[in-house]
Amino acid sequence: MAAEIPGVFESSLQDFVKKSKVLVVGAGGIGCEILKNLVLTGFSDIEIIDLDTIDVSNLNRQFLFQKQHVGKSKAVVARESALKFNPSVSIKAYHASIISPDFGVSFFKQFQVVLNALDNRAARNHVNRMCLAADIPLLESGTAGYEGQVELIKKGMTKCYECDLKTASKTYPGCTIRNTPSEPIHCIVWAKHLFNQLFGEDDPDEDVSPDTADPEASGKAGDTALNTEANDTGNVIRVSTRTWAQSCNYDPQKLFDKLFHDDIKYLLSMSNLWKTRRPPTPLVSTELPDAAAGSSKEEDSGLKDQRCWSIAECYTVFANSCKQLREQFALLKEGDHLVWDKDDKYAMDFVAACANIRAHIFGITQNSRFQIKSMAGNIIPAIATTNAVIAGLVVLHALRILENKLETCVPVYLRLKPNHKGHVIVPEKVFESPNPKCYVCSAKREVIVKIDIERMTVKQFEEIVLKKALNMHAPDVTLDGQGVVLISSEEGETTSNNAKTLKELGLQDGSVIVADDFLQDYELRISIVHKAYVKDQPEYEVIAAAEDLVPKPIQEEEKKNGSKNEDDNVMQVDLENETNDVRKRKSDSDEIPTKKAKVDNQDNGYADDIIVL
Amino acid sequence: MVEGNRIELTEDEAELYDRQIRLWGLESQKRLRAAKVLVIGMSGLGAEVTKNIVLAGVKSLTMMDGSVATKEDLCSQFFIPHSELGKNRAEASVERAQQLNPMVEVKAVPHYPEKFADEPDFYTKFDIVCATRLDLPTYLKINTICRNANVKFFCADVFGTFGYHFSDLQNHEYAEEETKQIAKPVLSSHTPNKRAKMEKEAVKVTVKKTDKFVPLQAVVDMDWKNEENKKKLNEMDSSFILSMILLSFRSKQKRDPSPATREEDIKLLQSIRDEFLTDKSVPLEKVPDECFRTVFAEVSPSCAVVGGVLAQEIIKVVSQKGAPHNNLFLFNPLSSCGTVVSLGNIPSQNSKQEPVDLIDLDDD
Ligand SMILES: [Zn+2]
Repeated sequence: MAAEIPGVFESSLQDFVKKSKVLVVGAGGIGCEILKNLVLTGFSDIEIIDLDTIDVSNLNRQFLFQKQHVGKSKAVVARESALKFNPSVSIKAYHASIISPDFGVSFFKQFQVVLNALDNRAARNHVNRMCLAADIPLLESGTAGYEGQVELIKKGMTKCYECDLKTASKTYPGCTIRNTPSEPIHCIVWAKHLFNQLFGEDDPDEDVSPDTADPEASGKAGDTALNTEANDTGNVIRVSTRTWAQSCNYDPQKLFDKLFHDDIKYLLSMSNLWKTRRPPTPLVSTELPDAAAGSSKEEDSGLKDQRCWSIAECYTVFANSCKQLREQFALLKEGDHLVWDKDDKYAMDFVAACANIRAHIFGITQNSRFQIKSMAGNIIPAIATTNAVIAGLVVLHALRILENKLETCVPVYLRLKPNHKGHVIVPEKVFESPNPKCYVCSAKREVIVKIDIERMTVKQFEEIVLKKALNMHAPDVTLDGQGVVLISSEEGETTSNNAKTLKELGLQDGSVIVADDFLQDYELRISIVHKAYVKDQPEYEVIAAAEDLVPKPIQEEEKKNGSKNEDDNVMQVDLENETNDVRKRKSDSDEIPTKKAKVDNQDNGYADDIIVL
Repeated sequence: MVEGNRIELTEDEAELYDRQIRLWGLESQKRLRAAKVLVIGMSGLGAEVTKNIVLAGVKSLTMMDGSVATKEDLCSQFFIPHSELGKNRAEASVERAQQLNPMVEVKAVPHYPEKFADEPDFYTKFDIVCATRLDLPTYLKINTICRNANVKFFCADVFGTFGYHFSDLQNHEYAEEETKQIAKPVLSSHTPNKRAKMEKEAVKVTVKKTDKFVPLQAVVDMDWKNEENKKKLNEMDSSFILSMILLSFRSKQKRDPSPATREEDIKLLQSIRDEFLTDKSVPLEKVPDECFRTVFAEVSPSCAVVGGVLAQEIIKVVSQKGAPHNNLFLFNPLSSCGTVVSLGNIPSQNSKQEPVDLIDLDDD
């Protein structure tokens, strides 16, 4: 324990280390490494919190855990293992979510510094607000593959975690998913939607049947197919996919014939779609090709996960997983549903098989289950070495914070390759100052929200806009200056409002509401702009500042990604952000001045987010 | 270099190594699992490298150290239980190192490397030798033995919060992914008769490269009076000179600076600096006194940084994927900067590119 041996550190630092109290949020890859460094450095009062339990795939890097710990609490086991490094330190472990009234502003105020080692944006946003409210320095960190970053967040001195709006989830146009897939990811998204249609949460935006309202399909050619069957929502009228599947008891052959033969035939009849595209080939379940696509690659591995399956094999996996999922589903309470999980064998089997069968039908490259799992589960691979380097940098920064040398805690990036100066660990030259329009850390906390006030209910507004998009925990909402309470965090007080639309409660275009979150000690003014809902478009839009209401040219990022301005007909794909996501990364600190200018020119300055699929 | 990559991974291995296979591919994992690594010097840095390499899943990891564990080791050596202070460092580390990954053979050799000075065969058994916490003459000797035995050599140290690692990989062959712009006809079933339109497309291609490295002796022999080298020395991160000063201290005093004699040792270090820099007419401010206040023991977070970078280099070299640092990595905790510099007249005909041999290269 460095601080217990006089002379290792300057005596002032030695004192600070011994007396300080620190909080580690997250006991995953970075969290385990940070905890080790803290204990060995001589920190003697540490608290660590994690909601998660240990999985086998953690063991290659979360070195405080071993096979016998699988299934146990990460925080609890991390504490036990770290105590072996120094049995005399005090470590308090919480198997809990940091987003909880148990951890309010006064909880955060106990610590000299908070070290984030999180794997998701919602918790990062929350801890950001808690540390701003408690005015405690926060060290934020993240890794993705070989790269990672550390940065200090300090109220009034640096940018906060939410100063830049983050890139929204990657989205795909609805009709690409339902009618005209051209890439493996389109088939994977479709397969996940199919899972939800059959076994999961029913979401009308995740329909998997042919979309007859596809603007491309209109014209004479589609008429025969369209004639009587389509309604104005574009979905073919029939019983829901699930009801139909249940009525035939999830018979794999019947499901297969409907999904991969009948629906495909139907798509073929929308002949406008196939004028410039390769038309899909309907499959007959009794005549499936037995050879794997590109089987020359096959001998690469004997692992079934790594191989590309033949369509006949896909059918076997599909049939078996249908059976298993049907049984899982049958065990649930009435009205309950399965939740797709990449680590659930049959849920993953189902998606891999369906995605590959659909890919085959559309002449799209097929992938191994292993590859599909990466894309479907949005796995950002994390490794021990990167986590170790980043956690080391975090604790070195923490030492400087204790010495009150905050100005030396510049953001630091770990790069895969040296930059032109030979740097692989790259410190920024300067801090970026807080965004004066930030709706979280600026003095003027305001946003504009565009929604359909005649359609959106109070409950939807609370769940989708306030909690999901604006990351509030339990807001109290009033209509500005009128004392009307829309939402109360006291249970039951405003239940009668839940089902009403915002308009019914007196909101108009231009109304201003005030949302106050007690836990986060955070109040936000929200200007409502009414915008009629359009099918397949997002239900809401959050705009940070009034001038951003003016339409801007398409962002660079979109051009690069080749989404070619395919109108706004987008479909949400859940980004799970499995591991520690690198929030943003400057490729080279020396380029800061130009980068900054570039960022400022863009809509919200979030184009440097990395999305790893 | 590492053979045996035709052996398939088991389902258990695939499950345990799932995330890293997603990053570096199945072929790299197979190479890793055939690799035999020797780590010399089981202090904090040795423990960090060992942890990362054992977690990655090599065939075997051997820890060599002739000394006993002291209280100072508790600043960063997390393998040694408090009850084992006074016991041999390598032997005291085996149990916890093994717990990290039961699939790796973890061994201890409770000796100083001098014991094997006349047994070069000892080193031939390894693919990688990573030496830490030795004096410069011993590094040079082991480097020579490794060169002769065609074994990849690394040496590294952490001094307080500063650190470095050096690599001599001799001739190192590896595959690297590059993005190339190629012209490609745009296929369209709709316009079969028209001439296919050409479109630029970014394609990732794997190229095979060979990099040449120099022995540590070439760095030691550098003539700092030579104008070009002198310029380099002036521009280089001060942690290079600091490392030279600390290695010199180690050779002269037969020990590292000690927390117990902190102020005296700082004075000794300053005098070595003054001599070293005056001789090369470099201003003394290049290595400010402030640096010497943080060179005691091996501080855990810096072991994590240097040990993490070094272990990733070893993984890169074993899997023959990606360009390794050629040839010195320096970590300066005062500026949070990690720099790669090339010293010792590395042959300029570096990175000989060859066409891709499809069978030879992994593309996953
Ligand atoms: Zn902010």
